Amino acid sequence: MNDRIITIVLSVGLLFSGLVLMPKIKDWRPVGIHTGYEPDQPIEFSHRLHAGELQVSCNYCHYGAEVSKHAGIPPLDVCMNCHRYVTVPFGAVIAEDKLAQEEEREPKRLVSPEIQKIYDALGLDKSLKYDSTKIQTPVEWTNIHNIPDFSYFDHRPHVAVGLACQKCHGPVETMERVRMTNALNMGWCVQCHRESNETGVNRKQVNAPLDCSACHY
Amino acid sequence: MSLLKKTGTRIKGTKESLEEKQNTHFIEMRGEEDFHAGENEFNRRDFLKIAGFSFAAGVAMVGCVRPPVEKAIPFLIQPEEIIPGKAYWYASTCGGCSAGCGILVKNRDGRPTKLEGNPDHPLSHGGLCAIGQASILGLYDSRRLKQPLIANAPADWTQIDSEVISKLSSAKQNGGKVRILTGTVNSPTEKQLTGEMLSGLENGKHIEYDAVSSSAVSDAHLISHNKRIIPRYFFERADVIVSFDCDFLDTWISPVEHTSAYAEGRDVERGELPEMSLHIQFEGRLTVTGSKADQRVRVTPDEITPVLVNLANILSLKAGVSFPLSQLLDSPVNKDLLNEIADKLWGNRGKSLVVCGNQDISCQLAVNFINHLLGSYGNTIDVDRHSNQRSGNDKELSALIEDIHKGEVDLLIINGVNPVFDLHDSKKLGEAIKKIPLVVNISPRVDETCEVSNIVCAESHYLENWSDSEPVEGIFSVSQPTINKFGDTRAFAECLSAWLGTPKSAFDLISNNWRENIFPKSEKDGSFQAFWDRTVHDGYIEMPSKELKTDSFDRSSLESIETKSWNADNSLSLVLYSSIAMREGRHSYNPFLLELPDPISKVTWDNCLSVSPERAEKMGAENGDIVSISIGESDTKPIQLPLVIQPGQHENVIAAAIGFGSKETVRFKDVNPQWIDAKSSVGKDGYVGKNVAGFSTFNNGLRQSNIKNAQITLIGKGEPLAFTQEHNSLDVRDPLLPAGSHRDPIIKEGTLTAFRDDPHSVVPHTEHEGDDLWGDDHQKKGHFWGMAIDLNRCTGCEACVVSCQIENNIPVVGKDEVRRNREMHWLRIDRYYNDNDGDVSVVFQPMMCQHCENAPCETVCPVLATVHSSEGLNQQIYNRCVGTRYCSNNCPYKMRRFNWFNYAHEDEMQNLLLNPDVTVRSRGIMEKCTFCVQRIQEAKIDAKSRGVKVNDRSIKPACQQSCPANAIVFGDMNDPESQVAKLLKSQRKYRVLEEINVRPSVGYLAMIRNKPESDGGMHHG
Repeated sequence: MNDRIITIVLSVGLLFSGLVLMPKIKDWRPVGIHTGYEPDQPIEFSHRLHAGELQVSCNYCHYGAEVSKHAGIPPLDVCMNCHRYVTVPFGAVIAEDKLAQEEEREPKRLVSPEIQKIYDALGLDKSLKYDSTKIQTPVEWTNIHNIPDFSYFDHRPHVAVGLACQKCHGPVETMERVRMTNALNMGWCVQCHRESNETGVNRKQVNAPLDCSACHY
Repeated sequence: MSLLKKTGTRIKGTKESLEEKQNTHFIEMRGEEDFHAGENEFNRRDFLKIAGFSFAAGVAMVGCVRPPVEKAIPFLIQPEEIIPGKAYWYASTCGGCSAGCGILVKNRDGRPTKLEGNPDHPLSHGGLCAIGQASILGLYDSRRLKQPLIANAPADWTQIDSEVISKLSSAKQNGGKVRILTGTVNSPTEKQLTGEMLSGLENGKHIEYDAVSSSAVSDAHLISHNKRIIPRYFFERADVIVSFDCDFLDTWISPVEHTSAYAEGRDVERGELPEMSLHIQFEGRLTVTGSKADQRVRVTPDEITPVLVNLANILSLKAGVSFPLSQLLDSPVNKDLLNEIADKLWGNRGKSLVVCGNQDISCQLAVNFINHLLGSYGNTIDVDRHSNQRSGNDKELSALIEDIHKGEVDLLIINGVNPVFDLHDSKKLGEAIKKIPLVVNISPRVDETCEVSNIVCAESHYLENWSDSEPVEGIFSVSQPTINKFGDTRAFAECLSAWLGTPKSAFDLISNNWRENIFPKSEKDGSFQAFWDRTVHDGYIEMPSKELKTDSFDRSSLESIETKSWNADNSLSLVLYSSIAMREGRHSYNPFLLELPDPISKVTWDNCLSVSPERAEKMGAENGDIVSISIGESDTKPIQLPLVIQPGQHENVIAAAIGFGSKETVRFKDVNPQWIDAKSSVGKDGYVGKNVAGFSTFNNGLRQSNIKNAQITLIGKGEPLAFTQEHNSLDVRDPLLPAGSHRDPIIKEGTLTAFRDDPHSVVPHTEHEGDDLWGDDHQKKGHFWGMAIDLNRCTGCEACVVSCQIENNIPVVGKDEVRRNREMHWLRIDRYYNDNDGDVSVVFQPMMCQHCENAPCETVCPVLATVHSSEGLNQQIYNRCVGTRYCSNNCPYKMRRFNWFNYAHEDEMQNLLLNPDVTVRSRGIMEKCTFCVQRIQEAKIDAKSRGVKVNDRSIKPACQQSCPANAIVFGDMNDPESQVAKLLKSQRKYRVLEEINVRPSVGYLAMIRNKPESDGGMHHG
């Protein structure tokens, strides 16, 4: 008697939970796997435009990859190398010039709102000079390719052997906003290490370590 | 109805497999009326069902949940030379004590995380002692002063400056007494500034004192060599070293420099024939230095003078020089022995060295005379390029104390010392200091003296500031800031310059002084900037030596030697010594040092009274019993300390360490994990240990740490001591001993004569080759990491222990946990006694994970959390470990450590010290020495990315790096050219517990003593 009631209560509960969780079912994944993670970023930076269309080398901005553990997120002064001059897409400039010609006026200086965020963070005024009255505020990016604290990944040997960045990070040059395409879990890492030892990387023989202490210490 | 009973009966009757059991029970349960729960209660099964459902739902939810969002915040404008994740090294000078060792500061992501010895430094040669290693924690001490105080209330610098300046100018006008009281100042800039300040005053004086005084050495040199200096000693050049109560390897003047030099002289295999220096030690208590000696003679401190005078007398006869005394004095040491020692010294003229640590002018003059006769001056002792590492003057100190008591001082400026803690009669002194119109104390923390000071100036840490020093005449070093200041603090030099009316930054002060005064000495062409840049880069500059070898010994000084005869009295001498970890107590805020076991007694978190076994037996006392100490007629309050029985100590000597019981230790009340059975890490009075400095006295203007007429009485049982001595003892139980093998000594020791006659005699070659656990399929083809530890070089100074602790984020567990055998040190130094008819000889053995080839821990781990790497490392994978502790149980070396708790990481400031390259382990995880695998990985990756071969010389584990004696060598055993491979071919090499065929990767080189007779090995201790 009692059991039956419990069974009913449980099934109702299960059904209810199922209904509640249904919309989230597509997000379900094993613990620690975050493939598809694509958080909003404080500046809508487009890798598709920079790395894809304009073919800026990954190492231009993420220059830490060759010399340090971390590839690093570029400091804003790296952005300023170009964006001191480039303030809006080229098309917008042409359009404004055309419009100004038609309206017989000087073309306006256009600044895209996303690029304006760089200037604001650096505390720059309209002529892109440092304005000491403004407060410099570092940009808080959201980490995407994040591995747990008990494993240590080092970019250097991977870059040195000539591994493409896309091998781990996916086709970033096609992404408007960066999305995690690989699981970056241990099985995935070890699989690649095993295969690389057999096939080599870029027709070179490699010695990808399979010891635990290569990453865990 | 009892649920337990029900389930019990059901299971008992069935014989099916577990799965079947569960199924049938379910059916049974439904059918049986008895098993119905009451109307309104759940039974256990239902509870489990619900719980199971909730768990499953929880798991499903967790699966959907993202981890906490982590932010990555790059620089806005990145300094060109800084790349996140990459370590930078800055040369600097250690500020842990006044010895001035060279250091390299490792900076990661804008903060210093580790100090290492500077291998190029002419004094320390890459070593760094335990205090130096631990001193980095001072930077991240959240209780350090962040701003100056006036009358214990926060104040600002302008207020303080104006107050001090007005006091100084009024003193200038009315001739008031201004006294600057500091520890040893060997910074040329600080010296210049104090000089400048005093030159403007009518009655100003700078008084230096050392809490651990060597004033007698300087005073004796003033008499004999007309220079008040402490000479520089070259232990590496001495073939015969005779030391009288001088712990030159523990804490005396410049221990790292001495250890490094001494170890070179003790290297048996340096030449073609085995040879090493001879070291004879006369001492009362058992010191680290004494434990390394070839011959140790037990004498009380009072007996040193007659022995030394007799030795001087014998040697003067040999030299044909007159000596004030015609006959030998009565002496506790028999004349044959003295003659023998004199012969050895005389036979090695120019290559011998006699040192004495006694605070007695006669002793020191006799020593100077002996060294003069032996031609040591100019060879093993340098008075021209002398040491500046201790320049304290006890006579001036005692005059100052008198002045203070008389109330004559108008302004007292204190820096780097804590007189109310260090000196005797501290309470009275404190009261007297309080009466001084203005006392300014420049101190990083509010110590005992700050409490009686009007103004406390927050002093910055040496890693935050520019400073300079000249530890030895002609060797200048610079320390540079490695991080921005944490608070509104100043360096001593900055305070002085502000009070001189010309406030300047420490950098300006130092660079100006160097430009004007030090650069010209270098006799170098080129610009000052080039010279300065070079010096800052290297951390030091050695000025060209003039090669003066003067020995201006003044014979008339012999008249000052007191030659009263010695009469044996049985009075008890109390020896106040400074311990390797605590020294004078300046670093008592530092938990790393408090948890560091004393090298000899192995006691942590306490200072004890060490007593010889004979005396303890007479008293009927045991380890940990509380005894009360008092001094004959003195009115010093008796102090109660726990007793520790110390073999090798003279029966009439009792010894206690100073530096404990300071105000700073109050903070350690709850340093250990707080659980239901936790006990506090501090004593009942709230302090760690007791301050015994009150017993010290002045005698002839010299501070004495050997006090006669001590009395001890047994009070009763005390709390158990936090000993690490008997923890983790190495033992192979009989059933585990492979058939046909015999127990090998853990320590192998031999004599030089025996080793010379037959190199195989010390470590007889025994074939222990048992079966290999893994066969041929686990060959180490690439690197094969291993380690060689030379027991002859190791002095047991424990620098490696602290270095390891900081490098590997090893927590401090507190006194109570140490008592429970839960200390976390990955590296310990085992101390073995060899009993020779009541006397002991000591061998230290650093012991860490041996990275066995046939590792017993690996085969018992149920989750494969500890496995062998292809390069011979025994790996411990924290995220895989479930904490069964089988591995630890099966480890014959007992080198695995279990995290019983999540050790405290609440202090965010202190967490800045954590090494970002090593995981911080959590509760329930086993951990152990990894051979600093993070450094191996770094070197391998660095080599890989540069496309070169890994050079094992670029990999130094933290222990090896820090070792002043170079006793530890790590490297690739597969590379025949590597240092470790060469060392492991030594005739002295053996492996600990070789008989059980675990094949450790750590090899030990046997201890050799420079003794004629054969002694045999040491046995399981």
